[in-house]
Amino acid sequence: MNLLEYSLIFMVISFIPCLYRVIKGPTIPDRVVALDAMTTVIVVMLGIYSYVQESVFFMDVALVLAIISFVGTVTIAKYLDEGVVF
Amino acid sequence: MALEILSNAVLILGLFFVFLAMLGLARLPDVYNRLHTTTKIGTLGAFSVMLSILLKVGFSPMGVKAITVALFILITSPVAAHMISRAAHRHGVGLCRESVIDEYGKACNAACPPPEED
Amino acid sequence: MKRYIAYSAILALVWCFVHGTISVNNFILGLIIAPFIIRPFKFLFPFDLEFSFGNAIKKIPAQIKFLYVLIVEIIKANIMVAKIVLQPKIDIKPGIIAVPIDSKTDIGITAIANTITLTPGTLTIDVSDDKSILYVHAIDATDPEGVAQSIREDLEKYTMEAFE
Repeated sequence: MNLLEYSLIFMVISFIPCLYRVIKGPTIPDRVVALDAMTTVIVVMLGIYSYVQESVFFMDVALVLAIISFVGTVTIAKYLDEGVVF
Repeated sequence: MALEILSNAVLILGLFFVFLAMLGLARLPDVYNRLHTTTKIGTLGAFSVMLSILLKVGFSPMGVKAITVALFILITSPVAAHMISRAAHRHGVGLCRESVIDEYGKACNAACPPPEED
Repeated sequence: MKRYIAYSAILALVWCFVHGTISVNNFILGLIIAPFIIRPFKFLFPFDLEFSFGNAIKKIPAQIKFLYVLIVEIIKANIMVAKIVLQPKIDIKPGIIAVPIDSKTDIGITAIANTITLTPGTLTIDVSDDKSILYVHAIDATDPEGVAQSIREDLEKYTMEAFE
């Protein structure tokens, strides 16, 4: 076990408040914010895992996940705001 | 050697900030305060972790992609926060009880008064 | 035509970063592909405004100064919010404040709004219809005048110089 593997465990621990907020969150925007934060944690985990495995492909996955998270958040916000997406 | 110590320090700082962001998500009272933590601290935490990977591997493809991810998060996270907070306010999510002032709600009501309850 | 060259250079740089290798060959490949990407999405770019390379290069020192201010403000913001999260009992007085701004162009308003979100204790919520007032959620709203004044004096000066 070295520092990077401990840091992966630490990131998994920081998942728990997000899950709590996704399950309990009183309103829909709360849940969307929590899912967005979860994506940030997953991107950080993928970055560290990419370094642990010495493979570039996990960094591509992180980039694509960041893009999809942004588009998804904006789409849900538009849907809540106007009732239509496009 | 100094570079390794520096990158480890930045990594630990970034992990700590990401953890604080998630803790704030669970502790603070309403949507707008939660957005404060996830946009500010979460962004800097992700940026620090990616910067530490760049310090570890140098300008190889992995390091360049890591800094790309970090810059992308830095640019897009304020936009997402703005969109979701505006949608929340228009969807009717009120501010928490400790709030002292709401000039946006007043402006919205002045522009288009809420329909009469019958 | 000038706009095509400028945007192609930016997109080629993005292509180099996403591909992972920064080299001259890669940059030229991006420069060749970029106009075919810009042409179908022409409506997203402000093609109707004036543009000159001289002005764009003159703004670079102001932008570097703005970047420095932004980094300092982000670090201050993190320390402040981290302190609030780590308090044993959360004691905050949030609220939404109207902040009048001087920026007129779309890119200036975008820059000031994103900067406000990343700086201590404030979060942009909306801009009014006539683009003169920003609605800002502050985590400590006991002094609305002070928050508005600090935004105008500390941040907007730099974004106006850098992006307008």
